Amino acid sequence: MNDRELIGRVLAGDPGAERALYDAHVDRVFRLVYRMAGDLDRAQDWVQETFIRAFDRLHQFRGESSLSTWLCSIAVSITLNGLRRVKRFREREVALEDASTVGITPREADPDLKTRLHRAIDALPEGYRTVFVMHDVEGFTHQEIGHALGVQPGTSKAQLFRARARLREALADFARD
Amino acid sequence: MTGDDELDESLRELVGDYHRPGEAPREAMWQAIERRRARTGRRRPSYLRRWIPLAAAATVLLAIGIGIGRLSWGGGSEVASRAPAPALAEANGTAYHLVTLEHLSQAEEFLTLFRSSVGQGEQRLASSTARRLLGTNRMLLDSPAAMDRRTRLLLEDLELVLAGIAQLPAQVRRQDMDLIREGMESGQVMPRLRTVVPSGAAPSQGAL
Repeated sequence: MNDRELIGRVLAGDPGAERALYDAHVDRVFRLVYRMAGDLDRAQDWVQETFIRAFDRLHQFRGESSLSTWLCSIAVSITLNGLRRVKRFREREVALEDASTVGITPREADPDLKTRLHRAIDALPEGYRTVFVMHDVEGFTHQEIGHALGVQPGTSKAQLFRARARLREALADFARD
Repeated sequence: MTGDDELDESLRELVGDYHRPGEAPREAMWQAIERRRARTGRRRPSYLRRWIPLAAAATVLLAIGIGIGRLSWGGGSEVASRAPAPALAEANGTAYHLVTLEHLSQAEEFLTLFRSSVGQGEQRLASSTARRLLGTNRMLLDSPAAMDRRTRLLLEDLELVLAGIAQLPAQVRRQDMDLIREGMESGQVMPRLRTVVPSGAAPSQGAL
């Protein structure tokens, strides 16, 4: 059954079709959300929210992109909002608490290249990181990223270029070694 | 790195390890989706989905019509003179509603973060935050906000969870965490909070 037929059956109220739609797309959505969230609990919560919202709004799907891309656009929006809330919350709580008592997680003196790279990806600005994760980590095309983020494919290419430049900069001393 | 805008081969492999996901917990997530949709009544027959926006539009048009009718009959001043008392009560109700929503939103953020970060040396921060939220929670339980049964029950269950976290020792033991998790799961605190505070919505957009 293709996506169009599946959507028709979901809209007609067929619960089996809802499950089939979920099964067909959940892996890709989960991979993307987990890559962005980096935490299993949050990833599960946000994937669930993605499908709940998608079922609520399926009648609004116009087929301008593939169903998979449309689901990913919902997932990215929920994940970015969730990450912003976590960030705001952390900032607020750290401000309330004595700053000297937090952030004492021990770090290894000489992190290896992988650790440095992952930290550098974490530190990318939100837009760069999203495009980088979608393209270089999860293999989305610029066309798909454009649809999912509501930007032109050219903007996605430019953000990826800048993201890679930032990473190169962050790892420059490794390259010299 | 080599190349102008490409990552070199070794980095590509390392990039693939970035937050590498395991297998998607399909069944667990699907069951949670079903529970949340059933609880919030979001699973509706498709004909309702089509009619609800039309009914809402009709209601708005009706309200506008009634408003225009009253104005054109000159009855506006009479309505306005009777307005202050209910308007004040409504304003108070709205204020409690917003404060409660903000509190529940903060609690949801906190518990989400707590679940994922406890054991990473942030127990002290977690306990102090839980104590702060507990104070607000108790004030809300003593306020008109708790007159709504559903809100009161949620605040009561939340109180137990927050109290458990507030009393966590510096070295968290596994059984302490199990008790807190049990409290959250048996009362379905997180799903109920999320029903009140939809993901990504600003507090003013949510609904109790």
